[in-house]
Amino acid sequence: MVYAVLLALSAAALALYLWWATAGLLDRQTEAAIRADAQGLSERWDEGGLPALVLTIRERLEQNIDDDAIYLLVDPQMQQIAGNLRSWPSPVQRADVLYELAVTRAGAPALAQVQRYDLPGGFHLLIGRDVQARAKLRTLLTDALLWGLIVVAVMALAGAFIVRSLFRRTLANVSATAAAISAGDFSRRVRVSGRGDEFDQLAETINDMLDRIGRLMEGVREVSNAIAHDLRTPITRARARLEDAALHASTPDELHAAIERATDDLDGIVGVFQALLRISEIEAGSRRSAFTELDLAAVLADVAELYEPLAEAKGLRLVLDVPTAPSGSNAPVPMLRVRGDPEMLRQAVSNLTDNAIKFSPPGGEVRLSGVASPPWIEITVADQGPGIPPEDRSRAIERFFRGEAARSTPGSGLGLALVQAVAQLHGGTLRLEDARLEQAGPLEEAGRLEDVGRREDAGRGLRATLRLPATA
Amino acid sequence: MELRVAHSLGLGLGLLLMGGLLVPRAGGQSTPVVVTTDTPEYCQKLLDRLGQAIHAATEPPPVEVSSLSTEGQRMCHAGLTRGGILRLRRALMILEEQAAVPP
Repeated sequence: MVYAVLLALSAAALALYLWWATAGLLDRQTEAAIRADAQGLSERWDEGGLPALVLTIRERLEQNIDDDAIYLLVDPQMQQIAGNLRSWPSPVQRADVLYELAVTRAGAPALAQVQRYDLPGGFHLLIGRDVQARAKLRTLLTDALLWGLIVVAVMALAGAFIVRSLFRRTLANVSATAAAISAGDFSRRVRVSGRGDEFDQLAETINDMLDRIGRLMEGVREVSNAIAHDLRTPITRARARLEDAALHASTPDELHAAIERATDDLDGIVGVFQALLRISEIEAGSRRSAFTELDLAAVLADVAELYEPLAEAKGLRLVLDVPTAPSGSNAPVPMLRVRGDPEMLRQAVSNLTDNAIKFSPPGGEVRLSGVASPPWIEITVADQGPGIPPEDRSRAIERFFRGEAARSTPGSGLGLALVQAVAQLHGGTLRLEDARLEQAGPLEEAGRLEDVGRREDAGRGLRATLRLPATA
Repeated sequence: MELRVAHSLGLGLGLLLMGGLLVPRAGGQSTPVVVTTDTPEYCQKLLDRLGQAIHAATEPPPVEVSSLSTEGQRMCHAGLTRGGILRLRRALMILEEQAAVPP
């Protein structure tokens, strides 16, 4: 309503200005003409007195091509001496006022603007202009502006009413949804009208926000449940061992051994919490200040060297495949340059390699490779383990998720979550795929189905690709 | 009918707001004052004045003066007084301009 009033006031101000600039101009022109006329006649009076003034009035009337001049010179008894008005109009009494006067011209009513001037000796002079045509024009202009103003006011009110209804309806919709969510019904969403307008966009944005909040809340709930579930077992085990030792240990050695096992269990719990804190720290982005430019080939080589003994112990072959310097050059050529936190990236590659070794059957191969694919650097860790079914892949990066194949394998379910957090922090992605097709190569598609069958027994394998932005 | 009422209302309001406040009306004026330069008498006066001017001129009047004079006289006699007076004024103006120009 306030806006409607403001709009109407603005329109009124504009109309007033237009009137002043058009109809008002006509009035000002008339006034100026009368004043100039009065100035000229005053000079004639000063030069030649009454006879000169009478002559001038007569001449001006005779030469009045515009046919709009009005003069009347009267003596002290208000009797006409010269001019074209039959008698002195009784309402014209003051000398400093511009009067609007009704006159008759050739039998027809007309409008004139006149002003009175008092002369020495008791003579009075009336000077005016016929403004009938200008009055008609002024009336037309005034009329048009007023009608325009009325239309604008009506449209402003109607527009204000419509806009207010729209806002009310939308806000009521949002308000009802917010109230329902406050009351605990998190499934409620803002209704979308389907018109695709700004209100729909707002509703969709709010709904997206609510969906995301819902997912985050669900994630928090799942993580809480997972923490409770995953920690209950080792804590219960540690408690049982300590209780058992307290009741049944007969020698100090047995007691010490039980305490050591319980300590190991508790260390595992501490490790889980450390991993959780680390993921939170990475997701918060607080480690970005430690970013530096580094060569991932060196990181891959370090990790390969670190895990080589473990792979060998499990009967696996750990293959490192990174770009090398051109032949003939002794200097190392950095091919996999990225900007990031070296420690974090090493941790991420280690997690992927550790998983690959953990899930690969003896005799298999774990391939650790890096390739520059501008504008990306791709680090791939491929194994020949059971892999992850497609339906589980999106959840595999969630905290504490453990697939069917991993149930019997030690672990906390936080490794891939940490890799995902590192990838996100570095502006990259983590992709999980089957490694089988890639391992088989193009010949498999040409018909070596026997080999495929054999590999089916070994599992689909997992290829985890960490994709990071390359530096220029 | 409603439109006419609204029209009058708008017009009245406009004049009151815009015109009426700026120029005072000559309130209480019973009969409009007659302008005497629209009458046949003034037409005749102008014709006389034109005749005097032509007579006083040292040179013969231009053709345009004669035609305007004739036309003005004809219109005045036909009742078209304002049109006739306008033509006679033009004729007088031309004569005045001719007299003002040095030979």
